Amino acid sequence: MMKHASVVVIGGGIVGSAIAFNLLRMGTKNVCVIEKSYVSSGSTGRCAGGIRQQWSSPMNVKLAMRSVKLFEEFEKDVGMDIEYYQGGYLLLAYTDSEVDDFEKNVRMQKSQGLDVEILTPNQIKEKFPFINVEGIKLGSWCQSDGHANPQLANIAYAIAIRKMGGEFLAHTTVTGIDVQNGQITGVQTDNGYINTEIVVDAAGFESPKIGSMIGVDIPVHGERHQILVTEAVNHFLDPLVINFNHNYYVRQTHHGSLMMGQGDANPASGEDLGNTIEFLEEMSEKMIKDFPLLKNIHIIRQWSGAYDMSPDAQPIIDESKDISRFIYATGFSGHGFMLAPAVGESVAEMIIHGRTITTDVSNLKMDRFTIGIEREHNVV
Amino acid sequence: MEGRILDHPILNFTRKKRVKIFFEGNEIEAYEGETVAVALHAAGIKVLRYTPINGRPAGLFCAVGKCSSCLMEIDGMPNVRSCMTKVKAGMQIRRQHEKGELV
Amino acid sequence: MKEYDAVVIGGGPAGMAAAEVLGDQVKTLILDENDMLGGQLVKQTHKFFGDHAHYASTRGFEIANKFIDKIEKKPVDILTSSTVIGIYPQNTVAYVKDGHEDQVKYKKLIIATGAMERQLPFINSDLPGVYGAGAVQTLMNQYGIFPGKRFLIIGSGNIGLILAYQLAQTGVEVRAIVEALDKIGGYEVHANKAKRLGIPIFLKHTIIKAIGDESVQGAVIAEVDDKFNVIAGTEKEIVADTICISVGLMPITELAEQAKCKIVYIPELGGYVPVHDERMRTTNPDVFVAGDLSSIEEATTAMIEGKLAAMQIVEDVKKTDLEKEISNEIKTLAIFRSGPKSLKIRSGLEKMGIVTPQIEVPKFSPLPNSENGKLHAIIECTEEIPCNSCELACKFDAIKVGENINTPPVFDPLKCTGCAVCVTACPGLAIFMEKLDESPNATLGIPYEFLPLPKSNEKMWGMDRDGNYVCDLTVKRVVKNSNKTHIVYVELPKEFVDVVRHVTYPQKESPFVCRCEEITVDQIEKVIDSGITDFEEIKRITRVTMGPCGGKNCKMITLGIISRKTGIPIFKLSHGTSRPPVKPVEFSAFLRGDKK
Repeated sequence: MMKHASVVVIGGGIVGSAIAFNLLRMGTKNVCVIEKSYVSSGSTGRCAGGIRQQWSSPMNVKLAMRSVKLFEEFEKDVGMDIEYYQGGYLLLAYTDSEVDDFEKNVRMQKSQGLDVEILTPNQIKEKFPFINVEGIKLGSWCQSDGHANPQLANIAYAIAIRKMGGEFLAHTTVTGIDVQNGQITGVQTDNGYINTEIVVDAAGFESPKIGSMIGVDIPVHGERHQILVTEAVNHFLDPLVINFNHNYYVRQTHHGSLMMGQGDANPASGEDLGNTIEFLEEMSEKMIKDFPLLKNIHIIRQWSGAYDMSPDAQPIIDESKDISRFIYATGFSGHGFMLAPAVGESVAEMIIHGRTITTDVSNLKMDRFTIGIEREHNVV
Repeated sequence: MEGRILDHPILNFTRKKRVKIFFEGNEIEAYEGETVAVALHAAGIKVLRYTPINGRPAGLFCAVGKCSSCLMEIDGMPNVRSCMTKVKAGMQIRRQHEKGELV
Repeated sequence: MKEYDAVVIGGGPAGMAAAEVLGDQVKTLILDENDMLGGQLVKQTHKFFGDHAHYASTRGFEIANKFIDKIEKKPVDILTSSTVIGIYPQNTVAYVKDGHEDQVKYKKLIIATGAMERQLPFINSDLPGVYGAGAVQTLMNQYGIFPGKRFLIIGSGNIGLILAYQLAQTGVEVRAIVEALDKIGGYEVHANKAKRLGIPIFLKHTIIKAIGDESVQGAVIAEVDDKFNVIAGTEKEIVADTICISVGLMPITELAEQAKCKIVYIPELGGYVPVHDERMRTTNPDVFVAGDLSSIEEATTAMIEGKLAAMQIVEDVKKTDLEKEISNEIKTLAIFRSGPKSLKIRSGLEKMGIVTPQIEVPKFSPLPNSENGKLHAIIECTEEIPCNSCELACKFDAIKVGENINTPPVFDPLKCTGCAVCVTACPGLAIFMEKLDESPNATLGIPYEFLPLPKSNEKMWGMDRDGNYVCDLTVKRVVKNSNKTHIVYVELPKEFVDVVRHVTYPQKESPFVCRCEEITVDQIEKVIDSGITDFEEIKRITRVTMGPCGGKNCKMITLGIISRKTGIPIFKLSHGTSRPPVKPVEFSAFLRGDKK
């Protein structure tokens, strides 16, 4: 464990790892990541790995597009094949209000340069004959959207961080942060003490716990989402399909298995990472109706993970004005993995240069909650 | 040796009704109560699939549904544990070479 | 009925050499039952020994092509796919082609029908999977079919040794070569090629039985005493799916007998052979024999015998004087047969009244090798075999064999420029390149005829002359050659430069730990070696325990591997979380009654 770090990143999930990776790449020495369990043990290792750019605000679309560019270079930059596949994303609209939303979003996304288009039910049927299109009014389709393996990505970052001379301390818990005169002086862990002046809170749904160590209030809470995986079958599904109306998403992994989940009606808190049988019952009914060919496929395993939910389901990326220097990147509300590479880049720039250079994330600052909340509703 | 034990010094094997099942289109002798893997084994068919990554022949291992080595395509359904599936008249059984085929 | 001055039956090296000489001189017909000329040459992929005039360093099938080219330019009638069925009175040869029988008359006849494989009866030798060497070569080299996966070869003559090497080139596993005598039958250099691939040669052993239900699945071999009786208790079982019998050839004398040639039994020449003089004329003055029919030998001697017979026929028919040319060929034959490997042939021919003139094979003394930091050749050919390919290849006079080509080559390192042409020319692959200086590493150049061809910077294993692992080495560069004998230059520790004579890719079989996801012990150990020791992280990288069996069959083994490699006792390792469903269940199982 290094005695003095120039930056300590608390949380070794995809966001913390991406930030540390970018810091090291941009020349920062003595970067230390602290992870309380094994690499990819948190929300990162539990998510389905979707990577989309179809968001409803221009800044988010820009951030997501930057992230996709970085995912395209991931193997070259970080050094591991993370099964990144640009098979597209298919979003389905069933109601008139969804149709309005989609059309508005697609117009805006197109203006940002995204390769997105509206599909009619017939077009959907032609592209994906196995989907039951009954009730679908419209679809929005973006070919450059896709998915990857989040566990491999997290581990890839950890390996790269160590290779570049940074420290990635797994199975280490932060027990306190020392502050003197509004200035951070060090981080206490159950394995030793690290002197530092800069701390990044990337602790997912536990980021408020870290914030509370120095009196910073972070409006994030953990919401449990369940997910299941099936046995492997030959590849037939290119895109990740999101059905907001029927409440599910599904994708087929590189390995051939199908991963899928929904938003539970009354989700348990993020601390409870257990499972319910109702989840399997609800998913089964939906999938068989919309994808009849899945009737006989076998479910192998179900598990759960926590979304770190923010008040408007948008990430919170900011630096504390009270404590120097405390940066936090959290509240990703179920789309942290897909934004991580760009977030890592922007936060590293913030730390080194005092501001972002490549992608503007000023819309994600904390003070928006006092200005007014406009919730991202294309979440599942 | 293949085939069924007919005479045993201790046990009495009375076969139940004969059932027609098909392996890769060819008829196999089977009896009610037997599992697919058992009937195939009696017919001398030990290779039940070829593994998707290395193409290696695989067959029965645990014989009691705990290992997933004996997966076969049965009546169009992929990845079925043949050691746990009882034979039914007219059953169509095929070896999988890759992962299951849905489309 | 067509009439010819000379009819040649058999289009192998003897027949083709004869037709080449006869074609310009007399009206000639050559018949062969295969659809192309070439005989056994067509199936041979190795480079032939001998000298320049007799196609040394050329691969068998290339020799065939060259010959065919030459003959097609001559006014020779060629009948292929024509099976001669008998020699009839009044110099008539009857043959069948395309289902029709026809006849030709000859003034002079050359029978060059060659030999066939000896049989070796043993229990279950009739099982599918027991083949003669010719059959194996036909399948492999003519039709490109794997003759089997695991071979047992019976007989260590040149054919068995060559076959072992050819099989290894296609990727087939040769389990062993079995030889009843107490010494290897073929050339040392052929044996060395097989030995350094790790193919064991069991001397004083024979095969007792083949094992198998519908085809060969294995064999039992055992040691024999001097009288070739099996020594009880020495039986060994070998797993194999193909058994190749290559215990010798014997001439096919049927047609010679029908042509009223006298046949005698001379074992040194291969069994029953037609009596002939040194110009290949039999007791029937119009009939000649050449090639393996006259004595089981080599392609080179077959070619010379074919030429001799042809020249004698030209003398007979055209009354020209070819005595000088004939004496030359007889002398060439004598030089070929002057080495110790030809002792059997010489004594066999003596029984027939042919005395081969004694020609001394000069003794040689090797010059010392130098460690002067220059790249130079090392020649490991010490047996007296009729071949001077290396002398022919060297443009710098560094290799001397001399007039009697049975002499082992003498190498002068001072004249060697390191061009390595000799390495690619040597049919025995017995020449290597070496560079030694004060540095701890040396450079070694190895003749290489396998796929895949190594690439620069690849890490490989150096193997010794018995095919055992010696050391790790790195490929420096690979020099490709149009004759397909490439040279792989490697860098290895100096102390092994005299020991390593072959390179292979590091290969390690590893048991499967996870059947569902097909993960081996090796794959898991590799991840642990790279620094990842947490079970959860290992699981996510390799997918071990993530398959349909839920880790029931592989988790304990994986934890055991982690414990062994890290020294952490199992009870201190994390063992993951159990997640439902514990057995795979289909979606349809969750549908409520009416929706099913």
